[in-house]
Formats: sequence, C-alpha cells, structure tokens
Amino acid sequence: MRSPDVSTYLTFRILKGLFVVVLISVLTFIVMRMMPGDPVYLLLGEGQIPITDAQIQSIREKWGLDRPLPEQYFVWALNLLRGDFGESLIRAGVPVRDMIFEAIPVTALLNAYALGLAIVIAIPFGIAAAVRRNSWVDYSSNAISALGIATPNFWLALMLIVLFALYVPRWFGELPLIGRIPPFGLRSWQGWILPVIVIATEEMAVLMRITRGAVLELLPQDFVRTARSKGLAERAVLYRHIVANTMLPVITVIGFRIAFLLSGTIIVETVFALPGIGRLFVDSVLRLDYQVVQSLVVVFAVLVVVVNLLTDFLYALVDPRIRIS
Amino acid sequence: MSDMKLARILNRPLSRRQFLRYSAATGIGVSIGAGTMNAWAQGTQGGTLTWLGHQEVAGLGPNDIGPDVQSSVIFNVLNPLVHVNYASETEPILARSYEVAPDGLSYTFVLHEGVMFHDGSELTAEDVKYTFETYSEPGNTVASRFNGMREVEVVDRYTARVHMDTVNAAFLRLACEVPIVPMAYHEEVGVDGFRTAPIGTGAFRVDTWRPAEFTELVAFPDHFRGAPLIDRLRLEVVPEPSVRYIALLTGDAQATVWPLSIEDSIELSDNPDFRVIATNWNSPRFIPLNNDVPQLSDRRVRQAMLSAIDRQRILDELESGFGVVASSHLAPHNPFFNPDVPQYPFDPERARSLLEGAGWVEGSDGIRSNDGLRLSFTCTTISGDQTRRPMAELSQIFLRAVGVDMQLAEAPVASILQGLREGTLEASLFNWTHGALVDPSPAGTLRSDGGDNFTRYNNPEMDRLIDEGLTIVDPELRRPIYNRTQEIYAEDVPALMLHYNQGINVFSNEMTGLPDNVLVGTPVFYRGNEYGRG
Repeated sequence: MRSPDVSTYLTFRILKGLFVVVLISVLTFIVMRMMPGDPVYLLLGEGQIPITDAQIQSIREKWGLDRPLPEQYFVWALNLLRGDFGESLIRAGVPVRDMIFEAIPVTALLNAYALGLAIVIAIPFGIAAAVRRNSWVDYSSNAISALGIATPNFWLALMLIVLFALYVPRWFGELPLIGRIPPFGLRSWQGWILPVIVIATEEMAVLMRITRGAVLELLPQDFVRTARSKGLAERAVLYRHIVANTMLPVITVIGFRIAFLLSGTIIVETVFALPGIGRLFVDSVLRLDYQVVQSLVVVFAVLVVVVNLLTDFLYALVDPRIRIS
Repeated sequence: MSDMKLARILNRPLSRRQFLRYSAATGIGVSIGAGTMNAWAQGTQGGTLTWLGHQEVAGLGPNDIGPDVQSSVIFNVLNPLVHVNYASETEPILARSYEVAPDGLSYTFVLHEGVMFHDGSELTAEDVKYTFETYSEPGNTVASRFNGMREVEVVDRYTARVHMDTVNAAFLRLACEVPIVPMAYHEEVGVDGFRTAPIGTGAFRVDTWRPAEFTELVAFPDHFRGAPLIDRLRLEVVPEPSVRYIALLTGDAQATVWPLSIEDSIELSDNPDFRVIATNWNSPRFIPLNNDVPQLSDRRVRQAMLSAIDRQRILDELESGFGVVASSHLAPHNPFFNPDVPQYPFDPERARSLLEGAGWVEGSDGIRSNDGLRLSFTCTTISGDQTRRPMAELSQIFLRAVGVDMQLAEAPVASILQGLREGTLEASLFNWTHGALVDPSPAGTLRSDGGDNFTRYNNPEMDRLIDEGLTIVDPELRRPIYNRTQEIYAEDVPALMLHYNQGINVFSNEMTGLPDNVLVGTPVFYRGNEYGRG
C-alpha cells in the first residue's frame, strides 16, 4: 500500500460517494413528491369539520408546499448543507435533526447488542460444527440456523413477550439477576433483552452458517495442512490459522447489517414499541413527512458510503492479499 | 340502565349478540365484564396510571386535538371552555356558565375565577380572546372550527363574548372545544413552540414528551377542580394491538385509548380484573361510490348494490357482532338520528329487479351491462388494512352474485383521500364521519362543494338543507332538517353504508373512578383528574 495511491484512491472514492449522496437526495425528493396523496389532508385528520380550499392552501403556504418543486429541493438541500434538517411536518416545531439523532442510538444499540450476541454464540458454534462435521454439534447448529432463518421476526417477538413478560413471572416469579422483563419499551435495561434476542436469532443463524461454510472451505487448504504437518497442535491450527481467516465473512455481514439499519429492525421496533430509526422512517413515509424521509435517506446514504469505504479498508487490513487498486 | 340491571341481564344466559342488541336499543354504551358489577371505589392518593395508544403523540397544542391518542393527553394538560363529555352532553369546563344569544350571533362565557395556569398566571378573558383569535387564523388545523366568528370581546376580566358574522350552529361544540392557552407564554413561544412545551390549566403538566415513545404528565396540585388523585399519568405508544393486550394483563398499563382486537377485547370482558366499554363509533364503515362514474351514477344501481350486500353477516363474521348495520349518515346514538328512513335489508332478488329495471342485463360472464357499459368498478382499500379489506372481499362476493363486478385494489391512505377528492377513484372502503356527535351537520361530506364529498354527491335539496341547518341554533328546530337529510341520503344512496362498528376501550380494575354509563369512549380519557390507582 503506497501513500500516493491511497490518497488518490480516497479522493476518488469520496467524490464518488458524494455523487451517490446527491443523486439519492434528488431521487428521494422526486419519489416522495410523486407519491400520491397530500400530507395536508393527513394533517387535518378525519373530517368532522368542513375544511375550505382556502384553509388547505394556507396550510400549504405555511409549509412552503405551494412553491415550485426545484425551489423546494434547493431550499431543503442548502439548509441541509448548513446542518439544518428543517422541521417535521407532522411534529411541527420539532427539528428533524433531533428526531433522527434521538432515534439513531436506539436502533444502533439494538443492532450492536444483537450483533455482539450473535457473534459470541454463532462463531464458536459455527467453527465447532465445521470441525466436528456430521456430529451432534453440526446437526444441532444446522437445525438452529434453519429455525432461526425460517422463524418470522414478529412471531418470535410475540411469543417471547407472552412467555417472558406474562407466563414466566406467573409461574416462577421474578427471574434471578434479571428481574422482571417488560412486554414493551425501554423503561429499564431489561427492556432490551427480548428485542436483542429476536434480532440476534436471525443474525446468529446467518453468521453460524457463514462461519461453518468458511471453516469447511479452509480445512482442506494447503496452509492448514502445512500448519498441521509442521507439528502445530490442533488448537493452535484452529485459532491461529483458521479462525483468523473466518473474519472476512464476519466483516462482510457487519457491513451489510449497517446498510440495512434503516429497514432491518422495523418489525422488532414496532412490536416492542421502540422509538428507533426504522419506525420513524416507516411512520414518516406513511404520513408523507417529506422533510424527515428525505433527511433520513440522506443520512443513511452518507452512512452506507462511509461504511462501505471502511469495510474495504478493513478487508485490506485483515487480508493482506487484498490490494487497493 | 343501572349496573344492577346490567348484572341481572348478564346473569341470565344471553348470547353476546342478544346482549349487544339490547344495549344498542337502549341507546347507551355497553359495559360488559364482571368488573362492571364491582363498586368503583375511589382510589388512594398517588401512583401512576399508564394508558396505551397506537400512534405517536406528534404535538401537544390546540392544533393537535384531532387524533384520539393526542387528545387523551392534551385535554389533561389544557382545558377548553366547554366540552362534549362521555355522555354526549355539553359540559362547561373553564366556563362557569355560557349563554347563546337567541339570534345565534353571540356567545357569552363567564369564566371560573382563580383558575391558574401551570406557570402561576391566572386565566382571564384576555386568554380566551387571544386563543380564539390566534387559532382561527388560516394555517391552523383547527381554524375551520371558528367559521363565522368575527371577534372576541373582553367584557370584563372573567367574561368573554364571541361575536359572529354568520350563525354557525356547530360553534359551541366545535370552537369552544379548542383549549385555552396562556396569552403571555404563547406570544413568547408561538404556535409551534407551544405544541412542544404547552402550559395549560389542566390537572397535569407535561413532564416528559417523547413523541414516538411516551408522554408523561405530573399532577398539578393547584388545578381549579382540585388536585388529581394520582401523581403521574403516562401515555405509552404501543403500535401492536396484541402487545397492548399483554401489557394490560401484566399490569404494565391500566387502560387502552386505542382499541385492542375484537377477539382480545371479548376475552378480557370475561376477566373479572377488567372493565370493557363498547361504544358505537360515530363514523360508519362505508364504501364511497363515485357518483360521477357512469355505471354508478344511477341511484337504482346504488340501491340495488346496498340490497345485495348482507351487511349483518359482514358485521357478524368480521366484527364478531360488535356494531349496528348502518341506515343513516348519522350514527344510531346521535341525538339527531332518524330511524324512519327507507331501509335496505339483504334482498338479492330486489337487487336484481332494481338492476333490471334500470336496464342492466346479465351477460354471458354473469356481469351486467347496459348499452355496452359493463357494471364494473374498482374499490381501492387502504394498503395493509387487515380489518377492512376482508369487508371489501365479502362485499365483492355479494355484489358478484347479482351481476356487479367490484374489483379490488390497494393504495396508501393519502392517495385514496386525494383520489376521492379529485374524483379519480371509483370507490374505497374506510370510516368517515358524515355529521358528528358534536354537531350533526354533514356540510363537509354531503354538500356538493364539501371538502370531503368523496362520492361527488350533488343534490340541491341536500345543499339547501345543510345551509339552513347551520343557521339555526335551537336543536329542536334543527331536527326536521336533519330528519330530511337522512331521508334523502337513504333514497339517493350516494355510498354503501355498511355498519357502525363499536370502539372498545379496556380498563383494568386498578383504574378507579370511571363513570357508569359511557356513550362516547374517548372523552373518558379527558378526566384524568378523577381517576385513582386502586
């Protein structure tokens, strides 16, 4: 890796990323405006009271929705460059930036905990399944991952709520160390337990299969045979040569997860009533809260571009064979 | 109907349907569940009551009082001059008394003295004037409630008089429900600032507002009706109905503002730890038909379609019998409801003969046509609407049996509302009010130029009656007008009214002090100061 190459590459990647972000912002703006419906009608709610066209027009003027579309885009984009995300149409008076930055930590932590849990369980299990192929470890890991992938999120979430929030306290009282698990919300740390398990289950299933597959591919490789033939203990071969090489697929999955932050946890956030980014996004799309949707998409476009860049660099760090070209 | 009488009815073997019919016939809300028979002892001082809503509390100002979940919070923080209560009566709140001039052109409100806002300032007539004049400005979502208002005169410190340009019979119940804000603070923060940090005269002040998560209120000990019994009132946003159900069972919440599923509500009605209150909705489930579409423009076709649908079966199969088949644009519990209008019982033979009389002949594929025009149209339901989509599917089967082809499609709600308003959609299926409990006028929905005239209905007699109805203040003088609007509606059938379903609120016995006979569900939640935690 030579430094002039890296700086040229970086500039190129950043410019490309910027282009992607601008393109996405324009596309989102157009798509949102093309969506049928008028947010003003949604603001007015069910018509117990007759509304005149003049009143609708004045609400539209208040929000600048009567201005030409290019003007609306440039006003929003220029404000965004200055760090001003605007105000929500539905939660009038609340800055969109606050809404987004209050919701991001919830979803980010949820995913981080879930991914951590999935890694801790799935990687050792996946390795063990590959090393002891066709043993009970392998069969049970296969069964667990098949179940994890096949079980719908919302079903698992509801079953866990019924079991741990309702029946376990009735049958056994409070759980030792954990105490009481609430059916929804994040009022206490126990509130994180069930949503993290639900997300982790799916991730664990995927990671376990990827790890098992990766190890199975590595086992017959020359470098493993060489390591064994030079007299290394099986444990050393495993940890020093095999496990290190399984990190690549793990990083891929992590990068992939971040790209799916926006949509990946919507169901879990809805069932457990968590104020995360997925729910904010869906609610805002359904209520045509233009400013929120546009800003969210841009924030995530930036995030995905940055994460992709970081993933590529991490690849190079983990696997020296990968060269930046 | 007293609770004892209810108890006797419940002790007899009685099907749920029979019971609901009996209750509907008495015209009161239904209280079911053994919890009803308990004496509702006053709760002890202190504690937190938690209520559950399904959607975020997007704002806490006067412009946000529309959605039930929001109004359940707002009316515990801010108070209006008068309010329509759970028994559908106009109840003075901040007004000690009010008087409507015989010509309907002025309203005089005498305020309670010594009413304090949360910031320690006293409520005066200046605050009333400021609130009415600020929120009647175009751009506010509640501005239409003030239609016809000219100005507010401050007669003295505690007396405000509203002067009208034109008579608006709905003014008292609509405009006077807009909560009063403190002038000095509101001027400082503005409309949008106020809805994020409101100060009112309510029994609670806002402690924490996290729109998508929860809103927590704390007791305001200097509230003019006395300090609340509880310390805190919390509204949790739980979108998933089954999780709301579980949260009631686990004791994490004491009531649900937004209904559970019918099945869960029925289950809780058998649980002695809960009280289930079912009240008829004010807005019917209905299929608005675009009357401008050629195949739907003949009222005989629309009458035939209404006769062809077994609406009681839809109610039984899909709502577990919770509701009443619709016969009018006003709900059966509306004081202006007229039962003596043409009825459309399920009668496919009558439907066929009406269609044949109108020249619609069955083709080889079983679908009728008239002069080359097929009797076919599309009903667009709300995307993901699991409750009402099956009603469209059942209606489709009934209509198909008499040779009417109703295709089904789905679209987001905003798209449907716009399509109907602009006349680009042929039909849909949702709930909408055609004359509210607060005021029977269907001006927005049935007047030819109404903003929500989803059927593009145009009947000059209806327009004239609607205009006339709004210029008369005396309810008894208004009655013949709305009797006639209901007759015309039943004759013209601009939409296929299916049924008035019931809203079901569930309360845990831990919430004490609930009223007995509830006609309208949501206003029960406006009285947080009266409830205790048992």
